[in-house]
Amino acid sequence: MIGFDAILASFGAAFTFHSIAVIFGGVLLGYIVGVIPGLNRSVAIAIAIPLTFYMSAYAAIAFLIGLSKGTAAGSAVSAILLNTPGEPSSAATCLDGYPLARSGKPRKALKVGLLASVVGDLLATLLLIAVAIPFAAVALKFGPYELAAILIFALVFIAGMAGGSFLKGLAAGGMGVILGTVGLDPETGAMRLTFGYAELMEGVPILPLVIGTLALSEMFVQLEEYRRNKDADVIRLSKNADDDLSYGEFKGTLPTIFKSTGIGAFVGALPGLGPSVGAFMAYGFAKRSAKNPDSFGKGNPNGIAAAEAADNAVIPASYIPLFGLGIPGSVSAALLVGAFMIHGIQVGPLMLRDHPEMLFTIFSGMIVASLLMLAIGWYGLRIFAKVTSVPPNIVIPVVIFLCLAGIQVQGYGTFGLIVVFGFAIFGYFLKKFDYSFVTFLVAFIVTPMLEMNLRQSIILSGGEISILLERPIALVFVIITALMVLHLGWSSYRRNASRRAAS
Amino acid sequence: MYLKRLSTAIVATAMAVGVAQADDFPSQPLTLVVGFGAGGSTDIQARVLANVLEEELGQPVNVVNQPGAGGGVALSRLAVNDDEGYTFVFGTSMTITYGPLSTETNYQLDDFRYVAGVTLGQSAMVTGEDRPFGDTWEGLIEYAKENPGTSYATQTALDRMIIEYIAQQEGLDLRIVPTSGGAGMAPLILSGDVDFAYSGGTHSGYADSGEMPVLLSLAEDRLVAFPDAPSIQEAGYDINPAEIRVVMVPQNTPDGHVERLAEALEVATQDERFIEITEERILMPVVYMDEDEVTQTLSDQVTGYRALLEELGGVPGEDDED
Repeated sequence: MIGFDAILASFGAAFTFHSIAVIFGGVLLGYIVGVIPGLNRSVAIAIAIPLTFYMSAYAAIAFLIGLSKGTAAGSAVSAILLNTPGEPSSAATCLDGYPLARSGKPRKALKVGLLASVVGDLLATLLLIAVAIPFAAVALKFGPYELAAILIFALVFIAGMAGGSFLKGLAAGGMGVILGTVGLDPETGAMRLTFGYAELMEGVPILPLVIGTLALSEMFVQLEEYRRNKDADVIRLSKNADDDLSYGEFKGTLPTIFKSTGIGAFVGALPGLGPSVGAFMAYGFAKRSAKNPDSFGKGNPNGIAAAEAADNAVIPASYIPLFGLGIPGSVSAALLVGAFMIHGIQVGPLMLRDHPEMLFTIFSGMIVASLLMLAIGWYGLRIFAKVTSVPPNIVIPVVIFLCLAGIQVQGYGTFGLIVVFGFAIFGYFLKKFDYSFVTFLVAFIVTPMLEMNLRQSIILSGGEISILLERPIALVFVIITALMVLHLGWSSYRRNASRRAAS
Repeated sequence: MYLKRLSTAIVATAMAVGVAQADDFPSQPLTLVVGFGAGGSTDIQARVLANVLEEELGQPVNVVNQPGAGGGVALSRLAVNDDEGYTFVFGTSMTITYGPLSTETNYQLDDFRYVAGVTLGQSAMVTGEDRPFGDTWEGLIEYAKENPGTSYATQTALDRMIIEYIAQQEGLDLRIVPTSGGAGMAPLILSGDVDFAYSGGTHSGYADSGEMPVLLSLAEDRLVAFPDAPSIQEAGYDINPAEIRVVMVPQNTPDGHVERLAEALEVATQDERFIEITEERILMPVVYMDEDEVTQTLSDQVTGYRALLEELGGVPGEDDED
């Protein structure tokens, strides 16, 4: 399908000065965003997408992936020094990172976190490369029946796993589906839910929706929190000579790093679970399987290593369903789909056939990003320690400006601004009432694909449900989905009943 | 000496000003709108065209995809645009010829100026390998007569009308499924889920591998890359759905701007990169057609489609869908 020469050439393309510079920029920016509490990954990607319009498709994707990876590594810094995770997923890093830093060894804590991040990220990237290609080769043979069944499965799975109540997950997903059907009907060309707005003919514009729900609404939430707690105790790096990480100590954490990477990669490959689940699962596993579980939570380097390795492993692993099936399993993967679309590439198994060189260049770019992450984190330790104290009263207005500028750059005009603010308010309430974001966003992104495949299946089969008997893969997914709905529905009913009995 | 230098300077300045006035357009970045999804053949071609125009016009040309309604979304936006040529649509002629006939649109043929035609379309009815009916049009028709429910994937309202017309002529009972663009059609044909399909240009990419044989040419003549398949007229259907890839601007665009764009487009049709992507990658002949020629051809086609619709008794798809 693709020769060795071509693969080599794609790697060559990722190692040019230009692409390294772009990835470096992405990782660096991601690192800074990760370090600053209150600025998170999805905010950063959402506002960075408009910046990538002027890059080539490859550079844009490499930049965004670098950004995404950088945030995961950078977030450890504020978790360790501030006891405030830079990303929600680094909350587990606080547990041991902050105590270790307080006991006078901040540098050691930071270095364990960084090395664990890099190893976790690198290994998971290699796993992605190894798994995504055979996956896509199989997925290429899927027809509309299989795709419709898998998409429905993925949506229900995400609704059930993304945390909180299953019903709320379904509600968020349903909202995404409804918004995803706005625009022209693919078969008859009839207008749906456009309310006479020509701007809505091609659907709700993705960029204002993403920037509104993810970035702008997050700033509203931050604003509220900023009013509540204004002070935090920053630990500064000292010149203490024995505050460093020895090779022996690093070697001691390696088994934990490997195991946690495995857990993180597994969690990442399943759609909807996300890095927080991965980090806490790995932390819990490391604690339980340790010889001295009591030392966890008091500054055990293994605790930091477990949380950070898993946190970082989730990111590349979450791209497995994206490149393999075209289904985004996380917010950052969903945003990448949007970025790919803007740059004229349909992400998914077809990429392997139509743009193999692009796929391999992205993969090699991801490896470059891992290595740059190590360099940036290692040499920038001191600087990033200072960045933690950038006050929110600077961060919040800057981000709000970037959100609105991004919409204007794309030429959405006044309509775009209305959409952004509408979705910012919508996103704010999603957050306040704990409705799942991932489910909403993924549902919105995959709905056009789901609708097309479902309608094709129904017409092709002539409406006969028995077609599923000839399509074993689709049948399996339909059955699993049905069982999952029953299980999740039943367990949430039970939980509600017991809560009611208790009160 | 001093005077001479001064006069040279004056002349130079005057010339510079003169040039600047004549080349006033374009003085800011342009937007090339593609009415189809990213990754399709129109999109691939548009991106190269934009690069060539960028050099020719001396301003950035940004490509924006506004997919939907077979290119109709982009045109309905262009119809209300008064950018004076800074925003133009690069698309296929059927959107403007058949679009207003099949759906309610806010635009008509004479709402736009057709700056130039740059490529002749090579659309076709295609199928996959190892089908029970082989890879000939007669084979397919025979098979479909015996097998009600033979499936066809449609992408545009025009090919939907053509297939309905053919089904009526031949007495076929087809299952017609919608799909979006060549990227949506290809998997359906390659996996064997659909028996045959409309293809705007995607089949050309499979000319060498033979994975997507052409049954029927929808151009005026046989296709360059598939000389064995008959044209639609040779197969006995009185339709001329030949497509032209054209650049369109709103009717109110100043003459000077249209001329400048037309000049740049004529240069583009001689540019190696544009010829290479068009003739070697998507396998369509590059032909430059000026504004008058394109406008005449399009208006003839509209007349033809009108007559066909009368024969069919209305636009297909509307009565069996509610």
